[in-house]
Amino acid sequence: MIDLLLRLLEVSFWSGIAALGFGIIFNVPKKTIFTIFLLGSSAGLIKFFLLYFDCHVALSSLVAATFVGFISIPIAHKIHHPPVVFSIPAVIPMIPGYFAYETILSIMNFVFIETDEGKRLMLIDAIFANGFQMIYILLSLTIGVSLPMLILNKSSVKSLK
Amino acid sequence: MSNSEEFTKTADLLLEITTLLMISGANTERINLSIERFSSILNIDTHSWINQKTIIMTLTDKSSQKTITKVQNLPHHALNFLTISEISKASWTATHENWSLDEIKAEIERIKNLGRYPKIVVLVAVSLAVAGFCNIFKGDYLNMLVAFISAFIALLVSQQAHKLKYNMYVRIFLASLTASLVASLGVVFNIGTNPETALATSILFLVPGVALINSFTDLLESNILNGIVRFVVGTMTVLAIATGLFVAMYIFSINK
Repeated sequence: MIDLLLRLLEVSFWSGIAALGFGIIFNVPKKTIFTIFLLGSSAGLIKFFLLYFDCHVALSSLVAATFVGFISIPIAHKIHHPPVVFSIPAVIPMIPGYFAYETILSIMNFVFIETDEGKRLMLIDAIFANGFQMIYILLSLTIGVSLPMLILNKSSVKSLK
Repeated sequence: MSNSEEFTKTADLLLEITTLLMISGANTERINLSIERFSSILNIDTHSWINQKTIIMTLTDKSSQKTITKVQNLPHHALNFLTISEISKASWTATHENWSLDEIKAEIERIKNLGRYPKIVVLVAVSLAVAGFCNIFKGDYLNMLVAFISAFIALLVSQQAHKLKYNMYVRIFLASLTASLVASLGVVFNIGTNPETALATSILFLVPGVALINSFTDLLESNILNGIVRFVVGTMTVLAIATGLFVAMYIFSINK
């Protein structure tokens, strides 16, 4: 149990660092850096907590992204920056980059290298599984982050004061 | 708005704001909202067609009913969330304080000249992010070190290629190839418990996250064309990343 908690904390810390790194590439305002770290690590904590209980990765991402989407509204009012500036870097570590290039790698192996019938079938399975998993995770992240706006039927958080 | 010269100036300003938002990585809905806000301050009606490389905009002066149409080509995209945030704030202050054309112009000029983080900060932050990914995918601290070094060298290559104005996908391919080649050494010499993890995560900093998220945001808000364009840009980028990784794995004959 303690091991699990420590591992979760470690993973969420590094998720925060990953979010922060992306924030720096996107040249985020200096005031949002700490927020991005906190949001990134809490999103990581939620996602990996759910994954540990065998929740599907797309559903876990949806829950984590929804959390980021909702918590972003009060934060936006507090630090006076539009939510996208810190909510997008916070969910970027959950972007299914691994699934994305795994799909392409499987396609390349299928086309250029593999000749064995059985392994080619496994590659087709990998292409579909990774490719569609990527699309579903992307959808989860987008919907999660924009869910508060969709529910509240508003286009700007300023009008929610 | 009295004369046509000022009207042209207004059109140029709105085109500039739209350009800045588009190349900084704002989604289409946000860009439309900003144009709408600035237009209403300046008492004009604006209709626009925004694309990845071109903007077409028609402005109608509400008082004189004069119209003007302009087409603008966009420069290269370079993500900059500071610009997005500052323009958003400017649009609200401008609405509240009823800014004039010149005041808005001065503010946009200021925003354009805001700096970026120093290169070394970006290098360290991105390499740390990659090390973080390596930890998330169950790498130990030796694997994280390999991932850190790979990403650091790859980003140096990418920055150099950017300076030499290489094609974007060539640059990403080169960065991905460099990162994978360095991380492959970790697999060859069997460094750490999960050397393959370092190889798989060393290239994750190249993943086009903003393009892919904005793609689905645009699709969700019925900006279908821009959504598709962004998805294709994202896919091309992933293709470049995977090709770099594939070549490196082929050279070192690494089979997963």
